[in-house]
Amino acid sequence: MDLAPNEEQQAILDAVESLLGQRAGAARAIELDRLGEADADLQAELDQSGFLDIALDDEMGFLEAVLVVEAISQAGGLVTAGASALVAPGVAGESLPGPVALMQAGDKGPVRYAAQARTLLVDAGDEAFRVEIEPGAFEVVTSNVMFPLGRAVGELPDGDSLGAGSGALLRNWWRVALAAEMVGAMQAALDVTVEFVTGRRQFGRAIGSFQAVQHRLATCAVLVEGSRWLVREAAFRGAPPEAAATAAGHAAAAAGRLFEETQQLTGAMGYTREHDLHVWSMRLQALRLELGGAGEHRRAAARARWLDGGSGA
Amino acid sequence: MEFSWLEADLTFRRELIDFLQRTLPEEWDEMAKDGPGGDAQATYSREFCAALAEHGWLTQHWPKEYGGKDATPWRHAIVGEEMWKVGEPRGAQYMNVNWVGPTIMKYGTEEQKALHLPLISSGNVLWCQGFSEPEAGSDLVALRTLALREGDHYVVNGSKIWTSYVNHADYCFLVARSDPESKRHQGITVLLLPMDLDGIEVREIPSVVGERYFHEVFFTDVRVPVSCRLGPENAGWDVVTYSLAYERVGAARYARAVLTLDALAEHARERGLLEDPTVLERLSEAREVCEMARLLTYRVIDLRAKDSSPTADTNVARVAGTMAERAVSELALAVFGTDALVYGNFGESYFRMAMTAGVATGTTEVNLNLVASRFLGLPRE
Repeated sequence: MDLAPNEEQQAILDAVESLLGQRAGAARAIELDRLGEADADLQAELDQSGFLDIALDDEMGFLEAVLVVEAISQAGGLVTAGASALVAPGVAGESLPGPVALMQAGDKGPVRYAAQARTLLVDAGDEAFRVEIEPGAFEVVTSNVMFPLGRAVGELPDGDSLGAGSGALLRNWWRVALAAEMVGAMQAALDVTVEFVTGRRQFGRAIGSFQAVQHRLATCAVLVEGSRWLVREAAFRGAPPEAAATAAGHAAAAAGRLFEETQQLTGAMGYTREHDLHVWSMRLQALRLELGGAGEHRRAAARARWLDGGSGA
Repeated sequence: MEFSWLEADLTFRRELIDFLQRTLPEEWDEMAKDGPGGDAQATYSREFCAALAEHGWLTQHWPKEYGGKDATPWRHAIVGEEMWKVGEPRGAQYMNVNWVGPTIMKYGTEEQKALHLPLISSGNVLWCQGFSEPEAGSDLVALRTLALREGDHYVVNGSKIWTSYVNHADYCFLVARSDPESKRHQGITVLLLPMDLDGIEVREIPSVVGERYFHEVFFTDVRVPVSCRLGPENAGWDVVTYSLAYERVGAARYARAVLTLDALAEHARERGLLEDPTVLERLSEAREVCEMARLLTYRVIDLRAKDSSPTADTNVARVAGTMAERAVSELALAVFGTDALVYGNFGESYFRMAMTAGVATGTTEVNLNLVASRFLGLPRE
């Protein structure tokens, strides 16, 4: 048991944060959103530098991959961090040509990054399928959630099965990936809100000095910290069904709370494209609904612990 | 960063669980129903802690020079978890080993260490905590109890309130004002006060939490030898702060919450409620919060294991712990319905014990204030 990064982990974090400091950030996210694009350059650079393959590295693993995914999300990087760095290695045992999109078979709803992705991983229940995406298979969906969304135009090819039981594996790692991305986005949303309420003065004082404001942000901080450690432990243990769904359920519920509180406490400024909050708060709305949202994660966790026989822990 | 237990720690946990199964009497559940403050549990704690001490497990996290084994804070956390899971058979003595002893090690005279540390580590002494007063709760430095120096004695007058375990206590860790002109953090002195001195009167405050749970203690011209003073005169606030840092995450109440939740799931199954998706979601939601509390407490233990000075992570963990007990408590009512109104019902017992979570050892509001200022860096005014 050691809950601080060791030297190698710290070195990875420093390196990826340095890269993200130069190439990601709110301004870049807002610009890409205006163009309706994902960050192909950042995706390529993260890939070439090996940050998306960390889960399969002999010296590293899925915990280190979670740390990287948290950092990418917190920096606003518009890449398929969770799908590439956690889900692909977790379910296919190898890294896959990115961007990588994730969807549930038959889902007619919008899918993050589908119009930009080269690889699609499909949850078809018992099995997961890997599909190479042909250009034009997905059309762009208009949205304000600060992720590029796509919707399938016609029938998708079946692709290659990843084997019996791979569907569950896909869902487990998908939940870990979602939770890790939510942790990064929640932290960034909290940070810009703390900065806002510290600088914003009304009634002759910083609004962040009012206890009514402080307690709400402090509660958010507790929920973010909780989500962070839940997902890290779930990844360390190899995404067992219960731990993965527990992390995702908690993060999805926390993300709803964070959306509400950070938008409320930044007032009208928080609605604007001029203020950075929307980069993360709007993404939280997309992340917390994916794969059925908190309700489905929670039913899955409860089934794993109390119905499917065994503690699942 | 990694989340695995050492093999030796896993073995220790198994041995401890075996020990508990062998040692706890058949009527334990009945004894435990009023919590660590109940008469039965207080009395039994002397027998139980002595047995724990014989195995060297009561104070293994203490330094060797004070009779400990220099065991890691993780090892002591395992003890805390397993004790809370079964309802804390150490009774009030969990306070002794968690913070009374360590504070005496830090500030005590050789004479005080020689008297108190062996008593604590042999498991047959009960302490109570003389902190809160009628006018000093969250704002502890508003305390008014006086300890005025007269030659080689302090003369104590005043009262303490909400005191648990006091009816069985041998000693009181008393915080008092030794300089009547002083304000706030100045002029405070800590006394290790023997409870058999003349002039101490204990009155139970009847409560809905349990019998003998809360008391008010009145001190009238109680003469306490100067040799009972812990740390410097008038500068006792540092001693208090030090003790609180150890106290705040002392009780692994989340461990009880997790176990209670599993039991509630079984009751829900018997009542045919496990097919209800809403019940599943609520069970899971409560479990998330329990797991969060466990991990955030581990974060504090990890910092302590590395000898870091206390941080606001402690307050984060305390808020999470309260959330966990409340979530499980709500679920207990949901599962048992009106049966949870009957004294002694499983759900009733849990919600009754859990109802003090947001107030005992520092209110949630104070903890949130500290998270806001120290963890988030929000401005004070």
